[in-house]
Amino acid sequence: MDDVIEVHQLTKKFGDFTAVDHIDFTVRRGEIFGFVGPNGAGKSTTIKMLTTMLHPTSGSARICGYDVAKESDEVRRHIGIVFQDRSSDDYLTGRQNLDFHARMYGMSKSDREEKMEEVLDLLELKGKENIRLRILPEGVRRRFEVARGFMTRPDVVFLDEPTIGFDIKARMDLWNQIKTAREKEGVTVSLTTHFIEEANYLCDRVAIIDKARIVALDTPRNLKEAVGTDLISVQIAEGGERRAAFIEKVKELDWVKRVEEYSNSILLNAESGEGRVADLIDFADAHGFVITSIDEHEPSLEDVFLHFTGRTIREAEGEGTGMRPGRIVGEM
Amino acid sequence: METKTVKQKPLFEGEPIYSMWLRELLRFIAMPSRILATFASPFTWLVLLGVPLSQVFPTGDIQSMFGGLTFFAFIVPGVLSMGLLFGGTNSGVTVLWDKEFGFLKEVMVAPVRRTSLMIGRSLGALTIALIQAVVTIAVALVLGIWLGFRIISIAGFILAVCFMIITFFAFVGFGLTLGAMIEETEGFMTIIRMIEFPMFFLSGALLPLNMIEGIPVLYQLQFINPLTYGVDGIRGFLTGANFLPLWLDITVIVAFALLFLFLGAYKFSRMEVD
Repeated sequence: MDDVIEVHQLTKKFGDFTAVDHIDFTVRRGEIFGFVGPNGAGKSTTIKMLTTMLHPTSGSARICGYDVAKESDEVRRHIGIVFQDRSSDDYLTGRQNLDFHARMYGMSKSDREEKMEEVLDLLELKGKENIRLRILPEGVRRRFEVARGFMTRPDVVFLDEPTIGFDIKARMDLWNQIKTAREKEGVTVSLTTHFIEEANYLCDRVAIIDKARIVALDTPRNLKEAVGTDLISVQIAEGGERRAAFIEKVKELDWVKRVEEYSNSILLNAESGEGRVADLIDFADAHGFVITSIDEHEPSLEDVFLHFTGRTIREAEGEGTGMRPGRIVGEM
Repeated sequence: METKTVKQKPLFEGEPIYSMWLRELLRFIAMPSRILATFASPFTWLVLLGVPLSQVFPTGDIQSMFGGLTFFAFIVPGVLSMGLLFGGTNSGVTVLWDKEFGFLKEVMVAPVRRTSLMIGRSLGALTIALIQAVVTIAVALVLGIWLGFRIISIAGFILAVCFMIITFFAFVGFGLTLGAMIEETEGFMTIIRMIEFPMFFLSGALLPLNMIEGIPVLYQLQFINPLTYGVDGIRGFLTGANFLPLWLDITVIVAFALLFLFLGAYKFSRMEVD
């Protein structure tokens, strides 16, 4: 059985509002699978159904072969969950919280101790385990919750927006720790995020969710290729009118789809193809412009989202607010 | 297709119950203000209320008013029952606190019966309440040397403790039921205070039930107050000066405990953690 998560036509409605609309996907063993989309797209609702916290309205989902609605206890035994918001006891230390968790899952004392050392090591929490959580910084507390997710040797670990509120350093650290954990433990990881870089850096495959539906699902590389454009940033020697003239001129090229002007560079959105850079240099030469630097790069997942939904994630988040029902407002 | 083994949850889940119990105690120890309040409360009531007021009711004829007890001896069971009332209903608050701080989510998704969570938590709160009760009785016995409080027999003491445990669980159920029904912590605290204090004052904890016989409504309210039977039972077992028959006290408290524990368990098991 290589598909650890099997989701079929999964749907969740809150009254008239459809939070998740007939989605299908499977996640293979050992994969890091990401849900990407703006806030309110249905990521958290999906993860809540997969972790037995919400009952699906229709459709089905199986974790390790167990139905999330009918065999919720079996599902719970096989998963680790890192909730989006705090879920530890502040008055207890990290060690006490981890130990409490492991006891609830029926782990023996020696097993608990062994695993405790392992997860503390994994999340680089050694030396902090005997401090009450309430006096630790947010990032460290969060790492204890991630550690807890791996504590009971789950087959699948669910992480709901794992790095929300993190600074860049803490985020990079946690990403690497999650990667290491996956390699060492061989677990499957399923996460939701609205940080494009997070999905790009961590995930083997990404499902892009918008308005309760999966609009695209593939590896980050394939998704980017599907966009079918390359990005070329150019700098030219002159400024002012000459620069404006260059922009006008370049728009005449049939493979240039869009031109964006930035303070020191010009960004061309180009149809994918061989030799674009060389073509552009020749084109500039022919019209008497001097290119001082040129750089071609792949589209980001941000471009992917734009490609599939016609909006940027930020735009999508802007329109989402105010129309979501009360019960998932706390989702952030 | 591989075969699946669906494990049945055992009826009695020792480890999860123990974990919840341990957590309650660890939390208790982690909060010095709670420890202080637990130990200071018996002193406040017995020393600052009991001692001065027993000067108002000197020994003599007036003792018959308190069923043959001194005023001090009379209020000891009242103070004990107050600890049980407040401690029990407060365990409902902790359910809410957990809900507010997200910890409830963590326990609710564990592969454990919700009733086990409830039992473990209540046993933790019970342990703390019993520690408080023992401190109260010890303080009362020392002051009782001068103010006339003593326990009638060892058997009476043991029966009183058993009765206190049932009384405590009755209020745990009461607190859980309210806790699971009310959404916000702030509202809960207000409602709890609004219910607890009238219950305490109309329970015969501080004054004999028949003292307000001439006041309509208030007098009758005492008899629909479950705490009245708790106070009377504890007083009966400890000092022999019960006003109502003991069988009635036991029946009412057991019925109240069963009713609210089932109601609380039902509410708790259906509570959404989302």
